[in-house]
Amino acid sequence: MRLTTRLGAAGLAVYFWAFVVFLFAPLVVLLIFSVNKSPTPTLPLSGFTTKWFHEAFGNGTLTGALVRSIGIALVAAVIATALGIMASLGLLVLRGRAAALALTVLLLPLVVPYICLAVGLLILVQEVGARPSLAAVVLGHSVIVLPFAILVIMPRLRSLDPSMNEAAQDLGASPLAALRLITLPLLAPALVSSAIICFVTSFDEFAIASFLAPSGQPTYPVFLYASARTPALLPEVIAIGALIIAGSLLLVVLAEGGRRWAERRLVGQTAAAPAEAQEAKDDQSSGEFAMVNG
Amino acid sequence: MRWLRPGKGALVLPPLVFVGVLLLLPVAFISLYSVGLRTNIPGMPTAFSLSNWSDFLTGGGGAFRGRFVYSMEIALVVSVLTTIAAYPLAYFLAFVARRGRYALLLVLLAPFFTSYLLRVIAWQIILNNNGVVNSLLWTLHLRPHGSAISWLIYSNFSVALVLFYTWIPFVSLPIFVVLENMDHRLQEAAADLGASRAATFWRVTLPLSLPGVIAGFVFVLIPTTGEFITPLLVGGPNNQLFGNSIQAFFGDTPNWNYGSVLAIALIVVVIVLTLVFGRFLQTDLRAEARPGQ
Repeated sequence: MRLTTRLGAAGLAVYFWAFVVFLFAPLVVLLIFSVNKSPTPTLPLSGFTTKWFHEAFGNGTLTGALVRSIGIALVAAVIATALGIMASLGLLVLRGRAAALALTVLLLPLVVPYICLAVGLLILVQEVGARPSLAAVVLGHSVIVLPFAILVIMPRLRSLDPSMNEAAQDLGASPLAALRLITLPLLAPALVSSAIICFVTSFDEFAIASFLAPSGQPTYPVFLYASARTPALLPEVIAIGALIIAGSLLLVVLAEGGRRWAERRLVGQTAAAPAEAQEAKDDQSSGEFAMVNG
Repeated sequence: MRWLRPGKGALVLPPLVFVGVLLLLPVAFISLYSVGLRTNIPGMPTAFSLSNWSDFLTGGGGAFRGRFVYSMEIALVVSVLTTIAAYPLAYFLAFVARRGRYALLLVLLAPFFTSYLLRVIAWQIILNNNGVVNSLLWTLHLRPHGSAISWLIYSNFSVALVLFYTWIPFVSLPIFVVLENMDHRLQEAAADLGASRAATFWRVTLPLSLPGVIAGFVFVLIPTTGEFITPLLVGGPNNQLFGNSIQAFFGDTPNWNYGSVLAIALIVVVIVLTLVFGRFLQTDLRAEARPGQ
């Protein structure tokens, strides 16, 4: 027996697509108003223009904030992914209580509210006699994205066949060489996923940046928040926002497509499993990926 | 400490130290500030004192207690509504859209990967007094020009709506994973034994999917408890959440000692929630949720 009647299935499909419309509507609204002539986002629409894009890219504060955020997100993604590799390798070996405790501490940033961590870091900066700086923002972002890196890298690492690494070492590779030549290349899809997730999260982070970015050097979200309350700046914010939304949607599609392609290739190269088992594995790992990602 | 011996296991130490210095140490400092052992107020003596705590818990800090209760109410209402609304989405993906369900899952999740702040700003544009909804009603002559719907923005409605919008893709995920990994033979067995579709759902599918439902519920509840950006942009003065109170004490009207009390209170609540529901989160993170667990 099917679990749903034909009518039920149709109803669920309508419900699902209605939600997709609801979820994308605000994004579409931004896209529409980014090319609308009137400086106030209101209906009726007043004609097509690209002037907001020109003005946005001519606004040094805005582009400066963008560049700052991209730089911070890149460094935070590299730090977190590197630490994520270390943590995953370490957790692979640890057993029992030590492993559970280490994992709990490493995943704590998922639980502590960003606002609390932000004020804590502000206190820490003050206590060590430093001043708010972009470096402090980078460190704060690296901590909050570290769990994402671990949750993406660890399952992939666990799914690798340890005998490949052992074989490399039996053939004379040092542990480091085995790591570099065997383990890391096999981890590549997960490392790319990790870096992307960390980058996107840091790029969008507001709480920590709002407390730790020096006043003359806003990150992009900090600038965005300030200008969302300044009507004159709103059209430029919408224009850049539309570009960023289009870019991130494209990135999601490319990342997921690329990851599937890469993993299929790697699975094809390294395992002679029957096609069905491979497919099952693919499905499972994308489930995990999605899980961790969301 | 056997596990500290040199070897691959020790690789976990640098990340642990990193989290220790940049997360545990800040939280330790907040604790010190909350009991007056450190202060940012010039001329204030530093000595152990629970006066800020007693003010918040039982004394004159009634406004913050009220804000706390209000935040918890909003967080609970949003979490319940989001979980209920997400279930059919997950059910559709797992049992109706068999083919291409991962592509559809990605469609559902994609908005979640776009900038959170931008999405809140988009809602502000949609809901505000001469925003998309109101101006559309004017253009269609459904409301007199210039008269805005009063509860559309800067209200409980707008804060709850935007939080609901933000979290729904994320909640459908753990529910989907549990439904997806469910042993379908159990549902077939129920049907073979004469259960109707409705009975199969209420007595087999739904109970077996509860770990995912609870995980989804907690996935919203925990971050919503500490939320402060949405109320800043679409909430009025009466819709600010507990996170906004913390923010204010470290921003415009600095009193780090009192703010630290609120921050620690929030951390304690979130940690208690995590401990209570942690079992379900872990089950779920490992994607091991199987019937019978």
